[in-house]
Amino acid sequence: MSGPVNTGHTSAAIPMIKVLGIVSLLCGVLIVITQITTLGRIRHNQELLMRESVEQLLPGFQKQIVYGVEPSGDLKVLQGLGVEGHRFFAGYDNSGNFLGVVIETSDRGYADVIQAMYAYSPDSQTITGFQVVDMRETPGLGNRIGSDKDFLDNFKSLDAKHPISAVKHGAKKNPWEIDAISGATVSSRAVGRMLNKSVQAMAPIVAKNLDRIKRGN
Amino acid sequence: MSEPISCHTPTAPPTTDNPFLNGLWKQNPVFVQVLGMCPTLAITNSVRNAIAMGLATTFVLVFSNTLISAVRKLIPNQVRIASYIAIIATSVTIVDYLVKAISIPVYKALGPFIPLIVANCIILERAEAYAAKKPVVKSMLDGFGMGFGFAFALTCLGTVREVLGAGTWLGFPVFGPHFEPWVLFVLPPGGFIALAIWLLTFSSWRSWRMKRKLAEENSQLVRVSEVA
Repeated sequence: MSGPVNTGHTSAAIPMIKVLGIVSLLCGVLIVITQITTLGRIRHNQELLMRESVEQLLPGFQKQIVYGVEPSGDLKVLQGLGVEGHRFFAGYDNSGNFLGVVIETSDRGYADVIQAMYAYSPDSQTITGFQVVDMRETPGLGNRIGSDKDFLDNFKSLDAKHPISAVKHGAKKNPWEIDAISGATVSSRAVGRMLNKSVQAMAPIVAKNLDRIKRGN
Repeated sequence: MSEPISCHTPTAPPTTDNPFLNGLWKQNPVFVQVLGMCPTLAITNSVRNAIAMGLATTFVLVFSNTLISAVRKLIPNQVRIASYIAIIATSVTIVDYLVKAISIPVYKALGPFIPLIVANCIILERAEAYAAKKPVVKSMLDGFGMGFGFAFALTCLGTVREVLGAGTWLGFPVFGPHFEPWVLFVLPPGGFIALAIWLLTFSSWRSWRMKRKLAEENSQLVRVSEVA
């Protein structure tokens, strides 16, 4: 059996709903204003950061073209940065000569996902540089993948024709193997995995469109 | 007969009338109130991160305290916490955008801890305990005091951890190239150790000051009674 409607509660609820509505509206307006005013600056910062990484990976770099990868495997030139994972950067020197491409990759490390970029030379089918963009690996151990000179030397000319893999420290025999850091095997293996996965996917796309990339259009 | 032992133990020091100094020192959120321990331990492995987190929290405190104080008479008591949380979450979102616009490396270093400022108990505690009862200017000053107090504490911890754990201060080398960093200090246990060192230092200093004050008061009482 339903009782009479308690109008006392309803009338008390209305001012509360009104206040919460006004507070929410005010908060929403403030967030939108901030988002609109900072958007340009955030994009500019992201482009600057990406450009710096490409510059470090391709010595002599002066100009870049960002290519987006269509689901069909074709390329389109992007004006902005495009979507992560579906793009790569082609670098050119002062006279417009093609230097190589820089590709983003990521995989799960010891603590969290490791995000990195690497330079790939389609002519020699080698990886010519590697840089960590973001990671949460253990300081002093895993995070040495971004700074250990011996480890980074692996990527001066890493053969990408064969499946890339990380091997135990000191056990490297072939040019497609990465000599892992002692005490940071999980992080080193993650680097091997992410490079292998990315090269297998991107190298055919780059090879297919190489003439166009070299012309820079 | 031996002298009676004073049973006074150091407790939280009295608050001052100045809301800025109160937050900065007398009621320091980390060293005295021991609040907001999650970011205190998590992001103080470098001085740069500590200062950035301190300033981000200061912005949130000032913004939320000011806004909450301005609308405090309009908000019904039953929905005050919901309203405060909406205001605090807004200020945290604004900080999130601002840090990203100012420096992406700092944004990446602070990681998930910027969104987590919303759950920092210092913010809601100041909203409920101060801003909801006091006028706008005082609440703003309280926000600045508590925020700078938090930033100061974080910088103290960051200094110990970065100097010992990396051999640098704000990225500048302190001990020269032969120093072998104590990696422990940039790892989570180092955070607890550094916090313990600072808490011990502050509480010993407060206890020493309290005892000295009591001794002065006692000697004054003795002098007054002798004169009488």
